[in-house]
Amino acid sequence: MAKDEIVVGLEIGTSKVCVVVGEIKSDRSIKVIGVGEAASRGVRKGEIVDFDICGKCIREAIVEAEEKSDVLIKNIYLGVTGAHMESFNSRGEHFLPEDRDEIANEDIEAVQEKARDITVSAQNTFLHTVLQHYYVDGQAGVLSPVGMFGRKLEADFHIIHGIASRIKNTIRCVKELDLEIEDIVFNPFAAAQVVLDQQHKNIGALMIDMGGGTTGYMVYLDGAVKYSGVLGLGGDHITNDLSLGLRIPMAKAEKLKIEHGCVTLGNSDPGDVISLRDEHGFAGKEIERETLNTIIHLRVRETLEQLKKRLMEENVMDMLGGGVVLTGGSSMLRGVKHLAEEVLGVPVQLTRPHNVTGNVSAFENPKYSTAIGLVKYAQATFEIENKGVLGSIFDWLISGRK
Amino acid sequence: MIEFTRASKQRTPNVRIVGLGGAGGRIIELLISEQLEGASFVAMNTDSRILSASSAQEKVQLGASGVGAGGDPDAGYSATNESAAILRESFEGADLVFLCAGLGGGTGSGGAPMVANIARECGATVVSLVTVPFSFEGKRRQEQAQTALSQLSQQAQIVVVYENDRMDSVASAATPANQSFASADSILCQTVRALVTMVRGSGVLRVGLDELETTLRRTDSRCLFGYGESEGDTRAVDALERALRNPLMDRGQMLSEARDIVVHVAGGPDFSLVELGVLMEHVHRHVGENARLHIGVSSDSRLGGKLAVTVISATGTDTEPVRKAKLPPAPVAAPEPRIFESDAEPEPFNEIDEPEPELPLGAAKKGKAQQMQFEPVNRGRFEKSEPTIMDGQDLDVPTFLRKGLRIK
Repeated sequence: MAKDEIVVGLEIGTSKVCVVVGEIKSDRSIKVIGVGEAASRGVRKGEIVDFDICGKCIREAIVEAEEKSDVLIKNIYLGVTGAHMESFNSRGEHFLPEDRDEIANEDIEAVQEKARDITVSAQNTFLHTVLQHYYVDGQAGVLSPVGMFGRKLEADFHIIHGIASRIKNTIRCVKELDLEIEDIVFNPFAAAQVVLDQQHKNIGALMIDMGGGTTGYMVYLDGAVKYSGVLGLGGDHITNDLSLGLRIPMAKAEKLKIEHGCVTLGNSDPGDVISLRDEHGFAGKEIERETLNTIIHLRVRETLEQLKKRLMEENVMDMLGGGVVLTGGSSMLRGVKHLAEEVLGVPVQLTRPHNVTGNVSAFENPKYSTAIGLVKYAQATFEIENKGVLGSIFDWLISGRK
Repeated sequence: MIEFTRASKQRTPNVRIVGLGGAGGRIIELLISEQLEGASFVAMNTDSRILSASSAQEKVQLGASGVGAGGDPDAGYSATNESAAILRESFEGADLVFLCAGLGGGTGSGGAPMVANIARECGATVVSLVTVPFSFEGKRRQEQAQTALSQLSQQAQIVVVYENDRMDSVASAATPANQSFASADSILCQTVRALVTMVRGSGVLRVGLDELETTLRRTDSRCLFGYGESEGDTRAVDALERALRNPLMDRGQMLSEARDIVVHVAGGPDFSLVELGVLMEHVHRHVGENARLHIGVSSDSRLGGKLAVTVISATGTDTEPVRKAKLPPAPVAAPEPRIFESDAEPEPFNEIDEPEPELPLGAAKKGKAQQMQFEPVNRGRFEKSEPTIMDGQDLDVPTFLRKGLRIK
């Protein structure tokens, strides 16, 4: 890539809509030149439920990003998520034609096709087919098989798929705002681009993106994506629990969670109360700190336990040499790190997007991981000449819409 | 001794399973291969070649020609009519007839109402289990199926309808067609097996035909059926979860609308009442407030350490008021006498009643009794969104509520 390229990532989250305008430098670094953010409405568990309201929020965030970056936004990379997203690993096997024994690009595509030739529910569509490893004539550890001699090419892929109609809904909402979609990206996959470095990926790491509506996760082993998925549980659930348990409105519950919430139990004295003020500043309801923390603790613990249960089924907990990396807005809750270590039994570290330049201090916040990750993802796809390898079936989704 | 007292009350019913037409034949073939006990099989077909290949004990050739009905219900009807006398003979002495057929074709659509009628005239209770074609099979077949279905529901006491389209989670587009049909068949097959075991099983707590009838007798009914087996420490809950995961269950959501629900549990010798209590507590999470539960328990030594749970229900317009006038004691009073059959039995009923008053936020559920989702507690912000269900729990409901913690 000769000249610098401007890339825009759009994340329609449950708690916020975030637009990141990034500049991809020729030296592979990314400079964030503007971020637009708007409180999100009409989104539940990462999926749009009210198009009109959500459209307005997206518009708001786009306008803010345009003002801050002085860039007219036309094309975006769109992040999608939702509890319907699933993944599996598949191996494709391809024999070269009789008259040729040098592996060519078309064979790479063929092996990918073979890997995708697997039964998923009819309503689902593939979002990513991520390469893990190649094998040439059974020999492992081949990084770039094109040009090699062999008879049989095999490849392991990690395939991420989701319900087509739900993904299309998100696309529709964005299309109505006259934005062109360059590509759609699975949110945790985007976030992993900026919070995990190559060393982490090589020695095995689990990234947990604790968002507003969902908790996404991604496991890397041997430098490749091994498992990924989404739990339909997030910060919204904590707020909802508080709202129902303490009988306060959602907005108050959210504020209380952010200002005072902590997941650690037994940390406060009996009688330590927080008094909520009404809109005129008068003292209103009093809430015991321990009660607040207990509600939060139970929910966060449960979310982590559910996640652990899923990962235990795949037997990955013992292979995480790089430990666990926590990110996402809900990872800012006090004490999450320790609780996660206790539940998962693996060292946990909190991270935020790195490898990024620009007005860094403002964006070095775990809640921007996904949105900045979208820009990083764009950079990664530019680098891979053969777009097919990391590409998605986005074209199909678009052409299928009519 | 217990055997004796029960025998005096109710003798073991004579069960016939009839496979009518091509689809029906496939289903009984499956049942025969699974060696279902306690029932005799009758294969009926217009096509003599298919019939001769059947392994049923009894075969009835419909019509004299021996060629198939060719997808024409009229041909199926007239062939059945021709053989009415033979059918009467074959239903002699039957108490319960399961009529399995695939509607939409010739023999099944044309013959099923007729066969049901004859069986009923012979004094048997008729339970029809029929499939309605996949929508891709075309409009014509759908129409034929609908006509046959409305005729059939006038003849049979119980009609259980399987819309093949609802099996989409077992049959995806990439599944070969024959596999899709086979998986639809096997679910039907599970239902028959479960019903037969239930009705004639040597149960500690038995589910009678009358209870099944109250449960499944609905007009425009959609059948909810789930069957699950499991072993190990958490087998009660696991088996229930598996049952609820059945494609005909819609993930348990439709269960909340059902009025009558039959839950049948079969376990090996080590099945305990405590497990039943746990199981029923979980069932209660999924059913509506006013649902009537009919509980059956039977022990089957062949299950070994396994536990099998069957959940059957139907939603649709209730046809009960008419029946209530005719048969007053059937729905409510029926389970009561059984409670006193042995000392241990009242327990499950007690345990079932218990969770209700304990549910927190009781006031919140009042206003939405009709639109109740899955659990009679508040889901707050997630009221209208798709529930996040894991391990059979609705995780949108606050954790502290599910853990039973009370907030001052």
